[in-house]
Amino acid sequence: MEIIGELDYSNAAELRDRLTTVALEPGQRLVLDLAGMDFCDSSGITALIAARNHAHAARADMALAAVPSHTLRVLHIVGLDQIFPLYPDSDAATRS
Amino acid sequence: MDVVRRNNVTVTGNPQGRTVVLAHGFGCDQNMWRLTVPALVRDYRVVLFDYVGAGRSDSTAFSEHRYSSLDGYAEDVVELCEALDLRDAVFVGHSVSAMIGVLAAGMAPERIGALVMVAPSPRYIDDDGYRGGFSAEDIDELLASLESNYLGWSAAMAPVIMGNAERPELGEELKNSFCATDPDMARVFARTTFLSDSRDDLKNVRVPTLVLECTQDVIAPREVGVFVHQTVPGSTLITLDATGHCPHLSSPEATNEAILQFLAGLR
Amino acid sequence: MMCRTDQQPEPHGAGEETSGAAFAALLEDSAEELYESAPCGYLSTLMDGTIAKINTTLLDWLGLEREAVVGRMRFTDLLTVGGKLYHETHFAPLLRMQGEISGIALEIKQADGGRIPVLVSSVVKRGGTGEPLLIRTTVFDARDRRAYEEELLRGRKVAEDARKQAEADRARLQDALAVLQHSLLPDSLPQVPGVETAAYYHTASPDRLGGDFYDVFPIDGKRFAFFLGDVCGKGPQAAALTSLTRYTLRAAALHDPDPVAALTTLNTVLHERYADGGDPRYCTAVFGTLEPDPVTGQVTVRLASGGHPPVLVLRADGTADFLRTPGGLLVGVLPEALFTPAGTALAPGDTLLLYTDGLTEARTGKDRTSLYGDDGLLAFATRHAGESPRAVVQALTGLLDSFGDGLDDDTALLAFGVPADLAT
Repeated sequence: MEIIGELDYSNAAELRDRLTTVALEPGQRLVLDLAGMDFCDSSGITALIAARNHAHAARADMALAAVPSHTLRVLHIVGLDQIFPLYPDSDAATRS
Repeated sequence: MDVVRRNNVTVTGNPQGRTVVLAHGFGCDQNMWRLTVPALVRDYRVVLFDYVGAGRSDSTAFSEHRYSSLDGYAEDVVELCEALDLRDAVFVGHSVSAMIGVLAAGMAPERIGALVMVAPSPRYIDDDGYRGGFSAEDIDELLASLESNYLGWSAAMAPVIMGNAERPELGEELKNSFCATDPDMARVFARTTFLSDSRDDLKNVRVPTLVLECTQDVIAPREVGVFVHQTVPGSTLITLDATGHCPHLSSPEATNEAILQFLAGLR
Repeated sequence: MMCRTDQQPEPHGAGEETSGAAFAALLEDSAEELYESAPCGYLSTLMDGTIAKINTTLLDWLGLEREAVVGRMRFTDLLTVGGKLYHETHFAPLLRMQGEISGIALEIKQADGGRIPVLVSSVVKRGGTGEPLLIRTTVFDARDRRAYEEELLRGRKVAEDARKQAEADRARLQDALAVLQHSLLPDSLPQVPGVETAAYYHTASPDRLGGDFYDVFPIDGKRFAFFLGDVCGKGPQAAALTSLTRYTLRAAALHDPDPVAALTTLNTVLHERYADGGDPRYCTAVFGTLEPDPVTGQVTVRLASGGHPPVLVLRADGTADFLRTPGGLLVGVLPEALFTPAGTALAPGDTLLLYTDGLTEARTGKDRTSLYGDDGLLAFATRHAGESPRAVVQALTGLLDSFGDGLDDDTALLAFGVPADLAT
């Protein structure tokens, strides 16, 4: 799933709704490609956490690909860079 | 605020003569005196004005707070006297204006030297031992009908004067809207007027006073005229053979004669 | 063959005249009839108002007999009190001055006590020499018109009332929010011996509750605990989380003031409360303790951070640096979380500064590509290193104000410092 544009308070809820429609099988991996994401604030972070919870509930996995530098910085501050597997691009994310 | 502009003051007549101030009551404006002015202009200096909210006064000066009591109107009068530097003027007040004159004379005794009361009433609602002419319910009904904004004001608002063949000069002057009163301000004036009680103030009058009453006046019945005459020390009472509340319009000759005689007899 | 005589056609010319006459006869229109049965009321009065003539239509409306009215009643007797007053003060004078008046709204009284709203027009009839003789008046039934006017007025009143209600509701809501917001922050900070404290809170919007929080409180005779943080989200939900967080940390601190322990407790509480729904809730927080040494004046700081931006230490020698706590996780996200401890000592002239990301995420340019950021903040801190906590917070407040609309998130600031003049 690709996320393009700004992910903030105004549209995070929409992302979360979308995520719930994604059907996951156990052992699958949900990859969020953030290459096109211009901005992400705390509501965006909440949406990512929700995505992870959703994946884990289905006994699937979640990873982030092509995380922009600003978001990477935020993930580092909040410690989520240790929780989300991070990959430089979606191919790398799906391959592992 | 310039008082002359605020109250649409007109000064006419003989600059050498004693000043006579003509004050309208509830209803219309200084135009009510148009049949009286000609009788005075030869010998007297005549001052006409509109209370704020009436006629062509400056309506931006209107304050519901100030004009919710007769004192507010009396202050208008005192300010007018001061602006024109009047001394010992004769104040002719119609209806509730007569009471306003009493209050103003009390506030500025050097400005007002005599009073003429035309169809005056110090209180319109009946009381113990006093007949004002209206019951409390009557006045409630009047005020309620003013609230509902129906009374008198139709879409046409102010009637426009048409040419009057007998008095062409009248037609010439009064081209514009005439007797136009803002309904909201009129409501305040009505409320102030018809709920007022100036009976006690009459006792304090210290100047020569003429009381003019009409034989048939629903708004100021005969008993009221008698009461005013008896309460104002040293006053003179003249009963005009007139119906209605505005003898200066319905019986101008008799009204003018009574006023002129009184003026001639002063000091 | 039968002839029907009444159907015989008339000769041409005579036929037209006859049908004209027949037409008129059918109408029965005498002047009398026109006057008496007109669709409006007619009235003639003497100048003193005595009724001299009145038509049947008006009598029917009034429910009166002609004998009772003509020569006996005045026009004003037909009116309500208000009408009488208006007649005396406006209607009659105007009629006198103008000679005519039209379209005045009044009400006439019926014999049975009812009222009919009417529109009245009058004209003065003058004699040969111009003297006024009598007044001719027309009275129109204005019931429908009045009903329409009342409907309009009623509609306007309803709209006006609704508007006032909405305004009152909004004022009440804002009051409630203000009270609530107020309850989420400490009224005043306690005096910490040997330490100067300063704080500042900025809410992004008066219509929404802020999500930042802080507190300072004593834990035993020697030490004080402090925390500052930011709950995710905004509004009432976030406020509930703020409240829970504050009181959990306070209670945890009194039980075990170790910063990592306190944050761990908070993490457990939040995770247990919120993790199961599809609505993850968490916060970032820094928790720490201050232990002033009355002898040296130095203050020992121990703290731990859960996903919060790193605190700043401003030194008396004019330098400033972040006190980093890498790896600390957002509080409430995972059942077991790791929090990174750190510590430092504050000497006279040093200041410890905690802040929320409203500051570093503030937009300095037109869009989100230029944010104030860590570098900006560090440069700012360096410029003010050595100043008192109050001065630092004040300078930062000025900075926040200068962001204008660029600052669209809540921001909290908390600073501790050892007064420089305590140097021994």
